Amino acid sequence: MLRKTKGILVAMFGSVLMLAGCSFSSGDSDGATGGEKVTVDVFQFKVEFKEQFDKLVETYEEENPNVDINVKTVGGGNDYGAALKSAFSSGEAPDIFNVGGPADVEQYKDYVVDLSDTKSAEAALDGTLSSVTVDGDVYGLPYNQEGYGIIYNKEVFKEAGIEPTEIKTMDDLEEATKTLDNKKKELGIEAPFALPGKETWVMGIHLANAYLADEFDHDVMKAYESETVAFEMGDQMKRFLDLQNEYSVQPTLSLDYSQQVEELFSLGQVAMIQQGNWVYNTIYEMDTDLAENNIGLLPIPVKGYEGSIPVGVPMYWSLNGDSSEEEIQASKDFLDWLYTSDQGKEFVMEEFKFIPAYEGFDSSKIADPLSQEIYKYAEEGNTLGWVFMGAPTSWTTNKLGVYMQEYIAGDITWEELEQKATKSWEEPRK
Amino acid sequence: MHNRSIAFWLFLTPVMLGLGLVVVVPFIYGFIFSFTDWDGLKATTFMGLENYVRLFKEEEFLSSIWFTTKFAFVSIVSLNVIGLGLALIVTRNIKANNVLRTVFFMPNLIGGLILGFIWQFIFVSVFNDIGELTGIAAFQGWLSNSETGFWGLVILTSWQMGGYIMIIYIAYLESIPKDLIEASKIDGANSFQRFKHITFPLVAPAFTVSMFLTLSTAFKIYDQNLSLTNGGPGNDTQMVAMEIVRTAFAENEMAYAQAKAVIFFMIVAVIALTQVYYNKKREVDL
Repeated sequence: MLRKTKGILVAMFGSVLMLAGCSFSSGDSDGATGGEKVTVDVFQFKVEFKEQFDKLVETYEEENPNVDINVKTVGGGNDYGAALKSAFSSGEAPDIFNVGGPADVEQYKDYVVDLSDTKSAEAALDGTLSSVTVDGDVYGLPYNQEGYGIIYNKEVFKEAGIEPTEIKTMDDLEEATKTLDNKKKELGIEAPFALPGKETWVMGIHLANAYLADEFDHDVMKAYESETVAFEMGDQMKRFLDLQNEYSVQPTLSLDYSQQVEELFSLGQVAMIQQGNWVYNTIYEMDTDLAENNIGLLPIPVKGYEGSIPVGVPMYWSLNGDSSEEEIQASKDFLDWLYTSDQGKEFVMEEFKFIPAYEGFDSSKIADPLSQEIYKYAEEGNTLGWVFMGAPTSWTTNKLGVYMQEYIAGDITWEELEQKATKSWEEPRK
Repeated sequence: MHNRSIAFWLFLTPVMLGLGLVVVVPFIYGFIFSFTDWDGLKATTFMGLENYVRLFKEEEFLSSIWFTTKFAFVSIVSLNVIGLGLALIVTRNIKANNVLRTVFFMPNLIGGLILGFIWQFIFVSVFNDIGELTGIAAFQGWLSNSETGFWGLVILTSWQMGGYIMIIYIAYLESIPKDLIEASKIDGANSFQRFKHITFPLVAPAFTVSMFLTLSTAFKIYDQNLSLTNGGPGNDTQMVAMEIVRTAFAENEMAYAQAKAVIFFMIVAVIALTQVYYNKKREVDL
């Protein structure tokens, strides 16, 4: 989901595109009458599968000659939001666009269309629609599922004599980390962990979410409606952050995502990183053998939820209610085809390499071992919710994540961190 | 000059139109939006000065202004010293003159974003390795605290813009009449005296130009900031431009960010105009 370095580069590219005056051809709705071609404009954010998505669109257009689909891709969280906004305010709104969660649905509530009558909405897995459902109306269809935990190097664990399945609690993890640290010379690693302290999203979103999910009953909407955050599991959050920080390659505050994943983990310099299935392709490109055979996923130890990992939907498809009837119908048909037809499913699994968020998929076909493992957790119901989308806008990355940096730097104590974070949650919710 | 015929206005129209559409109109729009609760899609209520009152109480915004001011001050000094220094080197009669000019100017041709990533690698990895080899602790941990983040940005900016400022100084240095120099030599002035009494006063207009350029650039830096430190750690190296972008696009408060931008504009305008005014006074006319 959040590949920052790539995101920045893409943002740059995206802004160039915007400067170049990229706009949807106006008057496309004119052609929609009387059995003529329907044009559907798609404005989506997932840069990683742009090529594959274009291929899918081509296939669809071949089968449905009266539908013409234009795809625009603008990547990276914030930049997509900005570009989408300018598209809407300039009157060149797309027919299909992406929303991330309740805050986005709220913002575009004048536009979004109820999708509960689509086949995809019916097929969506339990709980995947809750964050885009308002009063029983479904305003988004999930892209896919993603999950995260502690990704570890199986070979290093084996050499150190650590049995990953026995790591359940924080004490177990700490012990394993210490063992790795003591043996780091023999194992040829620099440190057990690599904590990317520069990336506020790794700490502010993913790390924190594991310990905040319980507080909001794993329900995004509950977090979205909550006026405060209590850090009920603050002690555990602190302990996990401290553990990663203490046993990481130093200094952590200038360590970024690409160093963590590419330089340190993929090259076997560290034994564990806290990341999700989105890193698979990167590791695969760096070291195919490592990716295919030697990585596994450990749950982040959360008291009461041992053996569960956070799984959620990163992004949703929404339709623009200002489009013509024909365009809306064509958009619905397209999304249904994508997630419920055999051909579409094949694309989703094999080309996009998604962890499907819908029923009727053959899970044995999931492309990579990390995703397979995550799907297994999801199937067995051993999951923690993704509640961060319910936090005040940008609270996770620009507030909590930043405070965590200050905490690591020693500028503030953990108590101050909790106080500041609670305050900045409450302020916009007054 | 005073004969403003139709042709005069006709020739001016394209420029005025362009300037009006992409600068003036959006500026006015933005100014109006800063008094509302505009979220990028629609503005529902008129808030008066509420946004402005709020921003003066926001610690994050104020600290980003302070950081930017410090940065601007240090980089103006370093850029002008480096620019003038380089210009003095390449206006001597050395064979490698043209090669050197090209080399010094080259960093300016690389985009700020990419430069940021390059220097990030240098500061984080190369510096670290140097530190490990030599055992000098000062080379280690760059960009992981606010001091090294600050100096990292200064070094990056100086390296990037030094060549550009050099070009401006070269133009002025080369236009100094040779007879003045010769006359001073005959009068027995040494090279320091020549620099102080002839070269320096005559390149004063260059100071005006380049100080204005460096000041406005230093204030408005965004891409280098984004790719080098991304404002971290803990927002310590976040400059005003970045703070405004975050307020607008990450925190989704378009109108509030617009208010910040208006204040930012005023600060830059006041500083720049004052400085141009004083430098103009000092300039020597030939």
